[in-house]
This record gives sequence, C-alpha cells and structure tokens, in this order.
Amino acid sequence: MSRMKTLRGTLGRSTPMLALMLLTSFVVGCSRSDSETTQSPEKQASGDFMVVMNRPNNLHLIDLSARKVVNTCELPGDFGPGTVAMGPDNKVAYVLTNRFENIYGVEVDTCKIRFSAMQSQGHERVKSIASIAVSPDGRELYTHQNPTLLLVDRFEVQETRVAVYDTASGLDARPVRTLPAPRQVTIMATGADGTLYMGGRDIYAMNVKTGETNIALASQSIGDPSESLRDSLTVWPVGAVNHDFVRMYSNALYEDDTQNLETASWVWGFERIDLDTGEAESRIFGPLEVVLFSGMARPSDANQFFGVLTQLKKFDVDAQKELMSVDLEHSYYCINFSTDGSELYLAGTFNDIAIYNPDTLQKLANIELPGGDMAMANTRVFSRSP
Amino acid sequence: MKHLKPMNEKARLLDQAVEQGGVDEVVAMQTVAGCTATTDPGWEVDMFGSVAGLCQPMEADLYGCADPCWWPAQVPDVMVTYPDWAGEAPSAGKDWRKLDAVFPDDES
Repeated sequence: MSRMKTLRGTLGRSTPMLALMLLTSFVVGCSRSDSETTQSPEKQASGDFMVVMNRPNNLHLIDLSARKVVNTCELPGDFGPGTVAMGPDNKVAYVLTNRFENIYGVEVDTCKIRFSAMQSQGHERVKSIASIAVSPDGRELYTHQNPTLLLVDRFEVQETRVAVYDTASGLDARPVRTLPAPRQVTIMATGADGTLYMGGRDIYAMNVKTGETNIALASQSIGDPSESLRDSLTVWPVGAVNHDFVRMYSNALYEDDTQNLETASWVWGFERIDLDTGEAESRIFGPLEVVLFSGMARPSDANQFFGVLTQLKKFDVDAQKELMSVDLEHSYYCINFSTDGSELYLAGTFNDIAIYNPDTLQKLANIELPGGDMAMANTRVFSRSP
Repeated sequence: MKHLKPMNEKARLLDQAVEQGGVDEVVAMQTVAGCTATTDPGWEVDMFGSVAGLCQPMEADLYGCADPCWWPAQVPDVMVTYPDWAGEAPSAGKDWRKLDAVFPDDES
C-alpha cells in the first residue's frame, strides 16, 4: 500500500437519495452493548472515551476506563471509510460514511442524528477520502470533495474543492460555500486559529474564509536532491490528543549527488503541524525496515514515536533509533493514545481495539466491538474529565 | 513460457493449464473486473519483495483495501459497481466464505 492510485469510477450506481433522506429524518437505531474486555484490564486515567466506526455501519462510544462499549449507534446507509471527527463539545461525532459520500453528525450518547449531508447531488457524484474536519468552535464542518459528473455518454472529472457546511443546518445540509482545493487530499484537521490543514502531496494550509491556500509543509515538492520523493500513506487522522496534524513518510537519503539507491539509507520520518501554533516540523525518526501505516508521538513524551501495522514499534526520535518492537496478533492500521499518554490503542482492520502499555509494549486488553470490521476507520480519543 | 519458470503453486497451476489447452481459462483468471486496473502484486509480495511486511492475516487487510479501491484489492469494486459484494460478510475473517465472484451484468 505504498502507492495510492486515483480512484476510478466505472458504472455509476447512484445512492437512493430519497430512501436516505427518509432514513435520516428519524433517530437511528440505538443499542446498548455488553461487550467486555477479553483480558483483565488495568485501569487507566479516568474520563477518556473513544469513538470509532465498524461494519455494517455502526458508531461506537467506548469508555476506556471501564474498557467497555457503552453505546452503539446504527447509522443509515453503507459503511466506508468510517472516518470520525469529534465536535469540540465531545458530544457530537461527525462521520464520513456510505461509501465515502455522506456525513452524519451524531450525538454519541443518544444516537440522535443532528446533522446530515449527502455530498452527491443530481448527476454529480462526490467522494471524500477520509477528509473531514470540524472548526474549533464547532460551527463549521469541512470535507475535501472529489466530484465526477455522470453524464449520459461520459463521466467528467471535476476540480477538487473543500465544501464548508454549517453544522446548525440540520438534516440534508448543503454547503454554505465551496473553495478550490488541491487534489490527492486524504486527511484534514483544523488549527486553533481556524486554519484548515490538508494532507496531500504536501501539507496545505487553507484560510477557510477566503480560500487562500499555501503549502504549510513541503513534502513531495521539497525538491531536496539529497533525498528521494517522499512516500506518505495517510488516511488516518491520529494526532488530535497531541493537538497535532501528523503523518509519516518513508524515503531514501542519498549518500552523495549520484543519487545511488543501492547505497542510500532508507528512513521513516514524520511531518507534523502543531495545531495550537501552526508550527511545521519534519523529522526522521528511524530506519525503514518494515511497513508501518500510522504513527504518532506519545502525549507525555514527544521524543517517543510509535508506529503500527503488523508490528508495533517504538522509536527514539532524537537518536533516530528503534527502541522496541513486538509482533501483533493481527495487523492494525490505526494508532492512538490516551490523553495522558499512559495507554496506547490499536484499531482498524478487524473488530477489536488492542490496548498496550507504551513503556513495555505489553498488551493489556482487547475491547471487542459488536459487528464486523473497522477496516480503514480511525479512532478519536477525548477526555470528559472536568 | 520458454523463458519463465513457475516458482510457486499458483504459477505451476497456470503453467499446467496452458499445457492442457486451458489458455482461455488462464486469460479469464487474469481479467481485472474489480477495483484495480493493474495486476501488480498486492497481497502476495510486500514493498521489499518479500512477505514479512504483508498484513497478517490477509483478511485483516481485505476491506481496508477494498473499500477505497486500493491497489492490492483485486476484488469487486465495492465503492461504485458492486456495492453489495460484501454486504453479507461484515467480518472478513469470519465471513470470507460468503465473498463470491461477480460477473458483469449485461443490463447495467
């Protein structure tokens, strides 16, 4: 999965919009879950909760202290990708679902749908690739849209854009404005000042009032002859507990200007935007030895960087050295931490959240979700402690 | 096939099929009817040309690749054309027997 191909449409099958609109006019199904951990839990800092989606189209609220799924909301439509962004009140989760098209704003404690938007309208099919973000005040929702006109005799790929929604618009909302945006954007986050950061070939910063867009951190356009093109797999917005926009990249560092790949050093690095200050940082954190899908720093120690796929790895950023590594019971895509950094959570792929001790990389517990696979869904962790 | 030597079970089966006059079947097996336009190695070889970097097990990676039509997912296009392909199989690890082949619908 080191190369991302542009999505292809073949024969269009439009969403039955009427059915979806009818469905979203009701409060969706809500069921309490009795899911428990499969191992004796070690209690962590109280007050942390997690939201995550899985098949068939469920949104779960998990009490991480109790290691228990406390609420499950069954959403209308089909699954995918299951990307979740949390409102600033930590009560409403905004999810991208129904095959990358629809957005729902769901009260996670009651399952009431407070907001919905069907991005595809008329003959225009719109897909968003894990790109959804909420403004710091919770009043606006942003998606990155990939539109295609489905005409009688041909499809026409349209320019990509950011759609801005008013979260108070209720059901079947339409964008209040759209802004031209770069292509290949796959994750987004908002800074404290309202700037919208988008991860694509580079990391872009957009003024969502004017649409002015700049490169906040040059990645593939960096043009450094001492390194190869950066390769970034990024569909998991994971840095929220650190107030970070973060993604990993891999590439080769050439030994000299001959750019000989045979003698180059292959490395992992991360690209980070501090969402409080807007400061951008790009650092190498270790050697490229295995594939990792998502990674982030520990909230309590920015020098500890963790990455996951089939192994869970811990790195010393300053030393650019791997400190620890464990093989996992199965691959996990998405990493996250408790707000105090005392626990590490692995999610995605199947339907269990694995909890690890970040000091020892020993597994503490699993929380099994009712339903099927999380696939490429991300997790959001937040605290409700006063 | 003069210059190619089959190295694994699948390749040997393909070779045998050619020898037994089953060229049409071999060609059909190579037809791409799903997400990807390529026959790049997907769940067979990792970025280092080995297998240690592949997702484990393959079923853990199936929907994560198939949902966004990722390149290893040489399965039906569930994003647009065959949205119901995995509708009865919410867990790839437990329900994989329900994941069947699909065929183009002449009427669509």
